[in-house]
Amino acid sequence: MNVETIFFYLLGAVFVGSALMMVTRRNPVIAALYLILNFFCLAGIYLTLHAQFIAVIQILVYAGAIMVLFVFVIMLLNLSDERRLSEAISFKKIVAGGLSVALLLELLYIFVYRKTDLPTLNAERSIEIGTVESIGRHLFTKFLFPFEVTSILLLAAIVGAVVLAKRRLD
Amino acid sequence: METLVADIWRSTPLVLLTLVGLIALLVEGSGKGRAAAVYWISLVGTIASFVLSFLSLNTEEAAFNDMILQGGYAAFFGMIFTASAFGTLILSRSYLRRLHTERGEFYVLIVFAAIGMMLMASAIDLIILFLGIEVMSICLYVLVGFLRTKLTANESALKYFLLGAFTTGFLLYGIALIYGTVGSTSFRAISAAFPAVSNQPLFLLGAAMLVIAFSFKVAAVPFHMWAPDVYEGAPTPITAFMSTGTKAAAFAAFVGVFLGAFQIAGSKLSEVIALAAAASMIIGNVVAISQSNLKRMLAYSSIAHAGYMLSGISAANREGETGILFYLATYTLMNLGAFGVLSWVEQKDDTKLTFDDYAGFSAQQPFLAALLSIFLFSLAGIPPFAGFFGKYYVFLAAVKADLTWLAIIGVLTSVVSVYYYLRLVMMMYFQPGGATVEEPPAQMAFIAVTCAAILVVLFGIYPSLIVDLTKEFLNI
Amino acid sequence: MFSLAPAIVFFPLLGFLFLGLLGPRLKNERLVGIVGSGTVGLSFLVATAIFIEMLGLPPEQRKEIIQLFAWIGTFTGTSASMNVSVAYQIDQLSIVMTLIVTGVGFLIHVYSIGYMHGDPGFWRFFTYLNLFIFAMLNLVLADNFLLMFLGWEGVGLCSYLLIGFWYDRKFETGGYAPGTAYTGDAAKKAFIVNRIGDFGFLLGMFLIYVQFESLNFDTVFGRAAVLNVGGEVMMWMTLLLFIGATGKSAQIPLFVWLPDAMAGPTPVSALIHAATMVTAGVYMVARCSILFALAPATLQIVAVIGALTAIMAATIGLVQNDIKKVLAYSTISQLGYMFLAMGVAAFGAGIFHVMTHAFFKALLFLGSGAVIHAMHEEQDIQKMGGLKKYMPTTYKTFLIGAIAIAGIPPFAGFFSKDEILWKAFSSEYGSVLLWALAVLGAGITAFYMFRLTILTFEGEERFDHRHVHPHEAPQSMTIPLIILAGLSIVGGFVGIPESLLGGNALEHWLEPIFAPALSKLRVVPHHVEITEYVLMVLSVGIALAGIYGARRVYLRRQELSALWQQKYARIYKILWNKYYVDEAYDALFVRPAVRLSNSLLWKGLDVAVIDRMVNGTATAVAWCAFWIRRVQTGVAQMYATVLVGGIVVILFWLMIK
Repeated sequence: MNVETIFFYLLGAVFVGSALMMVTRRNPVIAALYLILNFFCLAGIYLTLHAQFIAVIQILVYAGAIMVLFVFVIMLLNLSDERRLSEAISFKKIVAGGLSVALLLELLYIFVYRKTDLPTLNAERSIEIGTVESIGRHLFTKFLFPFEVTSILLLAAIVGAVVLAKRRLD
Repeated sequence: METLVADIWRSTPLVLLTLVGLIALLVEGSGKGRAAAVYWISLVGTIASFVLSFLSLNTEEAAFNDMILQGGYAAFFGMIFTASAFGTLILSRSYLRRLHTERGEFYVLIVFAAIGMMLMASAIDLIILFLGIEVMSICLYVLVGFLRTKLTANESALKYFLLGAFTTGFLLYGIALIYGTVGSTSFRAISAAFPAVSNQPLFLLGAAMLVIAFSFKVAAVPFHMWAPDVYEGAPTPITAFMSTGTKAAAFAAFVGVFLGAFQIAGSKLSEVIALAAAASMIIGNVVAISQSNLKRMLAYSSIAHAGYMLSGISAANREGETGILFYLATYTLMNLGAFGVLSWVEQKDDTKLTFDDYAGFSAQQPFLAALLSIFLFSLAGIPPFAGFFGKYYVFLAAVKADLTWLAIIGVLTSVVSVYYYLRLVMMMYFQPGGATVEEPPAQMAFIAVTCAAILVVLFGIYPSLIVDLTKEFLNI
Repeated sequence: MFSLAPAIVFFPLLGFLFLGLLGPRLKNERLVGIVGSGTVGLSFLVATAIFIEMLGLPPEQRKEIIQLFAWIGTFTGTSASMNVSVAYQIDQLSIVMTLIVTGVGFLIHVYSIGYMHGDPGFWRFFTYLNLFIFAMLNLVLADNFLLMFLGWEGVGLCSYLLIGFWYDRKFETGGYAPGTAYTGDAAKKAFIVNRIGDFGFLLGMFLIYVQFESLNFDTVFGRAAVLNVGGEVMMWMTLLLFIGATGKSAQIPLFVWLPDAMAGPTPVSALIHAATMVTAGVYMVARCSILFALAPATLQIVAVIGALTAIMAATIGLVQNDIKKVLAYSTISQLGYMFLAMGVAAFGAGIFHVMTHAFFKALLFLGSGAVIHAMHEEQDIQKMGGLKKYMPTTYKTFLIGAIAIAGIPPFAGFFSKDEILWKAFSSEYGSVLLWALAVLGAGITAFYMFRLTILTFEGEERFDHRHVHPHEAPQSMTIPLIILAGLSIVGGFVGIPESLLGGNALEHWLEPIFAPALSKLRVVPHHVEITEYVLMVLSVGIALAGIYGARRVYLRRQELSALWQQKYARIYKILWNKYYVDEAYDALFVRPAVRLSNSLLWKGLDVAVIDRMVNGTATAVAWCAFWIRRVQTGVAQMYATVLVGGIVVILFWLMIK
């Protein structure tokens, strides 16, 4: 068991734990803080997988920008009655919980008991893939088209956001 | 650079529509009261893209580093999407003007959604497929909730968005797992690796995630729950768009992945799809019976139709694929037509949408009643209308693939469906009442719907008009 | 030129669409009439052109299949898959039928312009007629059973629409259920009786598909040609097809609809119920000759049914007083001759008779129409008489028709009927008995046709001069009469037998079509025999005797008819009541069916089982809907839960099961 593996499991444990904490907290601000922790762990996992660029982006975009947005929204909404976010346990919740557990068990079964032959990737190449240089090169050669499509996607999203959110139309 | 230019020339239907969308957006932004200009630009753009798609039917070339495949299959679906967008644009104009909420962005978003659909149909890489789905979905989330002052519209847009985002997660998870097992997102690589990986648990898990994501988009049971609410709350032209263009796009992706990249004939994946098909046919048709709101009724009917088409995918043979293409082309026509007539009768405050509101319609508006009847008969699958052959082909495919039980369920549930379709016909023709339209439909919309009816009859008598188009590029 | 064949079919379709869509707005009768008949005329011209070209070709090149489009396809083209095209087959047989349908059809269309003048449903009438021609052409030109069946059903529909054309009028039902009924009832009767036949045809078609795995004529007949004669499957197949034919062509036991079909306008009776549609059954048997050749037992049945129908209908015709009814029974009887020809493997002769019959029977019906027109809708010949003075053209042409049907040489009917009689006698599949029945029928035919002619046109005037002012029909009506009269005289010359030094051109023309069947049946072309002349003279003699008898009874000694009516009252009553067939069907089928429906089907099955099932389904649906609605709460979380449930099921099925 090398250092990378130890780090992976460590970060993984914190990752799952923070996710659980986040969905079970009543106070939205605390939940948001757990989410930040969660994002950091994810960035750490990326690092252990030699995906430096994505790790940085993860922190910049999610832990930075998006979380700030979340916190702003929470504060603007001013949710005084925290109980509104968590209702009493109901039949529906039991069903939903049961189904989630069933899904989890199934996934565990698939991952643990059924073996998959995965294509192997040598370590040096995997280090290369994660660099900014390699990502940039791919983005502007082979994946130029998806890159451009993304701009259309963002444009559509912006138009949509404006249409839905603008205070006064016309 | 040269290859890039060549690639752009190869993808003219897509590139042109994108340019038109951008120009329309610029025009909209250049000042107030430009909605009419945006409308006309979008309309011309869809027509031009339709024509270009038609012209490129017989060539099939990959473009942009094997990211998309232009011509052939993509062109066939391009025709469906642009026709659907064209019809939606026409219906939207009169609809929005009636509500005094005409805005250029509406038309622009329709065009962008059509671009997303075309990407879905032309994708030969999972990344493009994903981006196409997202472009389309985001536009639709907004279009569904476009009438901001209407509570039901807000509600359905939010529901659609939440559940759509939820399934996007599954889609990405599936793509990641497939990439993990195959080592590539390209359809070609997946297809080559398929025999080796098809029994790998992680690959199957990824494929299952794709089934789930696509089933959600086509509104197949049990991923259909959003459809009735969203269809009901959305502006009627957008409902028409979702039940035709979106459905066709989702099926284009479904067929492209499961019959193009995978070879699922006789596999467990095919069984799972057959199960979803059966459930969709049964639940869609049975619940449609108990609906009183016509938009909801048509929503459930669209679930049922998704089930019919899924049986074609599950069969995974040539008949099935041709059948789905034929089905989608004709279904687009009849559903657009049916929703078109509905949108003329409908009142501003969402009333006049129940069966009872159509009593005596034939006496007041004999021609519109006849049109609606043609669409309903076709939806019910009664010859000589086009709907009959669509069903015939997919059920035939099921029988050939030893899925006779599925075909039997299909035929039985079709019989059930006759009940609720003809109930509306009966209302229009045999119940006394004074149902009519408040103001006569716009001339262009009227002509478009009439053309759709003529085509529904024509393709019902002369199905090989469409089938021959598909012969060039289908080679299962 | 052959590739123009679809145009033959499409002109009437265009006419139908034009009139059907614009009809109510077309105030101009002339335009409607020109479009209606013009389209059929154009079809006739195209058909003629194709026919002329065909004449110049060697026999093996006279057949061509024009593919229009794949109709029902399976894309893979494996042998066991069903592939049906909309395709038309031009060959010697179909072109003859096409010429008859379009030619006679055109004349009748022109006639209708005069006959239907002033009718509020003028455009509707021509719309239906064009649709009928379209369907009929599909029937005769189809290259597969399914398209033929489409045409078969199409003509049935048109027949229904046209019989009930004057849906608000009443008509005399005659002996059965005496009194009047709405024309719609007659239309329904025709439709329902035809359904029985159609069902037989449909079952036969299923059997053909099961046996030969195709519905294409070429494939089916090609595969049939290598089979051996006999076999139960072939017998059932051909019997079922023949049941279809008895329905459409009004043979025993399904002939009862045709007399009532006379409730429709007279041009309809002429076109549909005499010249074209009712011969569809004959055409179908001829087209499937190879199938029938494989089942000699069926051929025997066909022959016997044909002969019995011929004589039975003829005897009924003896006593009827309605001018159209007489012609209707005579049509049934003549159709019987055609089936007799089919049954004795004289397929060519049968088609020959189809052709000549189309000429003279259309002529007779159109003549009767002119009379009815002149007599202000009076159809009872007892209230006519002496009309030849008022309407000389009609009289002369009607007389020509009567002579032709009676079988007097050299009129058309003689050659075709004599051919059938001779084949009934000489063929291996014929017999003296069949011949005797047929000859007897011919004599009776001559008798009742002249009874009809004399009572209508000659003798004293028995109508009421105060109300009725007979007059000659307008030119649009008389010109078709004259043309048809000409055809009734010369139409038989295409089939003069060798014994009369003719070439029997039609039979040789059709030979390639029937050759496979005839070789299966080992029918050898016979040489001229002295017997043929003897029989010929005999049949002409009997026909002449019939004419003489009619003249004597109805012109010279009119008291005889009343005397005979009393003397043979019982026979007269049976004939007058048409052998009580309608009553028998009523007692055997209709009433038990009604009773069964009332008691068992309605109260037993419908109320107890079906209603309960329907209600049960409704309850079940409501129950399902209730539960599904409980899930369909409108709460998005619930939807996501169901979604996850679906995922769990799918993963279980894929991975664990």
